[in-house]
Amino acid sequence: MARAVPHPPFDAELKAGLAVVGGMFPPTITADLIEFMRTSYASPPMDEEFDRRRIAVNDVTFPGGDGAAVNAAVLRSRDFSGPRPAVLYAHSGGLMFGDMFSGLDLVLDWVTELGAVLVTVDYRLAPEYPDPYPREDMYAALEWLAAHVTDLDVRADRILVAGASSGGGLAAGLALAARDRGGPRLCGQVLDYPMLDDRCMTASIEQFDGIGVWDRISNETGWTALLGEQRGTDLVSPYAAPARAQNLRGLPPAFIDVGAAEIFRDEAIDYANRIWQAGGDAELHVWSGAFHACDIFAPHTSVGRSMIRTRNTWVEKILAD
Amino acid sequence: MQELLGRIARLDPSASLGLRVIACFDELIVGNVNTRALLATAAALAGCTAGFRQSVPPRTLRVTPKGEAVQGESPTDPSNLHVASEDGIDVWLERDGAAGPNDALILERLALAVRIRNGRGAREIDNRRHLGILTGRESTPDERLTAASALGLSATGMYRLVVAPLFAVWRNHPAGPEDVIATPFGPVHAIVVPERYPPFGASPCGIGTATPPDSLDRSFRTAMVALRLCRAPKEPQVVADSYGGLIELLADADEHAPHSDADRVEAIAHYAWGMETIDAVVAAQSVREAARLLNIHHSTLQSRIDTITATLGFNPFEGFGRSRLGAAFLLHRLRTSTVLDLPAAAAPGNVAVLGPARPATV
Repeated sequence: MARAVPHPPFDAELKAGLAVVGGMFPPTITADLIEFMRTSYASPPMDEEFDRRRIAVNDVTFPGGDGAAVNAAVLRSRDFSGPRPAVLYAHSGGLMFGDMFSGLDLVLDWVTELGAVLVTVDYRLAPEYPDPYPREDMYAALEWLAAHVTDLDVRADRILVAGASSGGGLAAGLALAARDRGGPRLCGQVLDYPMLDDRCMTASIEQFDGIGVWDRISNETGWTALLGEQRGTDLVSPYAAPARAQNLRGLPPAFIDVGAAEIFRDEAIDYANRIWQAGGDAELHVWSGAFHACDIFAPHTSVGRSMIRTRNTWVEKILAD
Repeated sequence: MQELLGRIARLDPSASLGLRVIACFDELIVGNVNTRALLATAAALAGCTAGFRQSVPPRTLRVTPKGEAVQGESPTDPSNLHVASEDGIDVWLERDGAAGPNDALILERLALAVRIRNGRGAREIDNRRHLGILTGRESTPDERLTAASALGLSATGMYRLVVAPLFAVWRNHPAGPEDVIATPFGPVHAIVVPERYPPFGASPCGIGTATPPDSLDRSFRTAMVALRLCRAPKEPQVVADSYGGLIELLADADEHAPHSDADRVEAIAHYAWGMETIDAVVAAQSVREAARLLNIHHSTLQSRIDTITATLGFNPFEGFGRSRLGAAFLLHRLRTSTVLDLPAAAAPGNVAVLGPARPATV
């Protein structure tokens, strides 16, 4: 039996939000819940929201990491013209569920307010498509985007990568891979409560067992789906689990935010700290009382609004004309 | 949040969204959040702007589903306002068209929470619901009988309380009067069922002892102990009857009072093998049987038992040893229970998720 480990409290508004969130996103996700999560975490119809925000959507396909066709959508505000900055987005969903529109609300502000062109990717999901499919699909999306800057009317010098949770891990891995492979240059990386470390050994992971959103077991389920028996071994690539990267030099400026009341707290803090130690540029926000992805689930709360506002301010600094 | 409620309803048409709305506001009241936060949650749950106005001192506040405060007076078309009004405070939802399915409940809970936050005599205005009286230790047997009859229970019948966290995973729900009840461990979902009830599946879930209606407070207390003894997935449901008088003792015990045996069990729990070994020792008749339960060699077990005996200061296989260890083991589990830390997961009944197996990885 697990002993109760003290953990930082949830913010009161967010704790109330969990009363609803828990109904569709259980704290503990085991392999037998993957199918349920694929239904419960599927994005709702977005057409009305796109219309309301005056966003035009183009469905595209591009060759994924192995050449097979992968879907993505290119979103653009009808109120901006000319070459625009671009955002390449990796959605959340524990590497096993979610789709290119999951949790997208938060990123749409960058399209409507900054005129960014958003490329959101339906990278293939584990366990059916284990490592390296998800990360190589994202890398192929970056190369496709860089090769189509003219058709897409985006600025080659202003491509930002962003991702939330598992997508945050993919975004961090993409920045590492682009650096190492001499790929397209990125102007920034937004890592929202990123899933960085397959070893699952931190104190914050021990603190959140069976509570909140995305607990210790869920994390093990996600990493195992991606890496199988290699999880936790030295065979794991730093592009899959960026916490394993030895060298964090020469990366694009990073924005990292994470909740104090979630399992990813320690690995996110450590990643930011190691970027600083390597002489890099990172901005780290640790939100008191925040559970994992609370800005997606409870954007109306004081903490959720602060997270969104703070992130948008950073992105504006990097992307705006 | 409105969208999430819609998802929950689609995933499980039998899910009670009302209970979630109530639980949500219970947490907001307990957390003592401000008026804006209360309006933001109401707006987010309803999917439309929520408003508040008090006459003295004059103050108006309107908040959108995204938590943004909006300026100006509410729309003038009264057909778009769904108002709950009491004691100089109005709250409303600015909904275009017909009321949503949860509007009335959201407004009722919002009105209550806003009144408490704005200092209108916190307690007495919360009309205690019948189930609260039925299960409350401080109510008299007569009050419980009155509440029981209001709930349609027979004065001569025998009933039990079933309790679960608000986010328990239900495979199917037993029928009976139900409500959300605040406890020191957090709000629980409580249902009154007959002594002999049709089987149902819920994880985690505690089922109390059977009592007449005027003693259902006792059934509730034993159900709470049973719930907090749950160990999902291996033991998702605990029936108080399995522990009989022991659970009744625990129900009335001060868990945090010093208890030398339980303190020593805590020391043993620090060993990786500690709790599972005590579990087997308490359940087994002999060292050999306990070793079989644990699937280890009996000499391995014997060395663990030597450690346990040395730590406890008594041999669990002698005299009152096993009783002492059993009681201390249960008390320790209650002290360290995380079952109600936060409502556990609710996945819909149409997915077989009761007691999901943990992945076979370390």
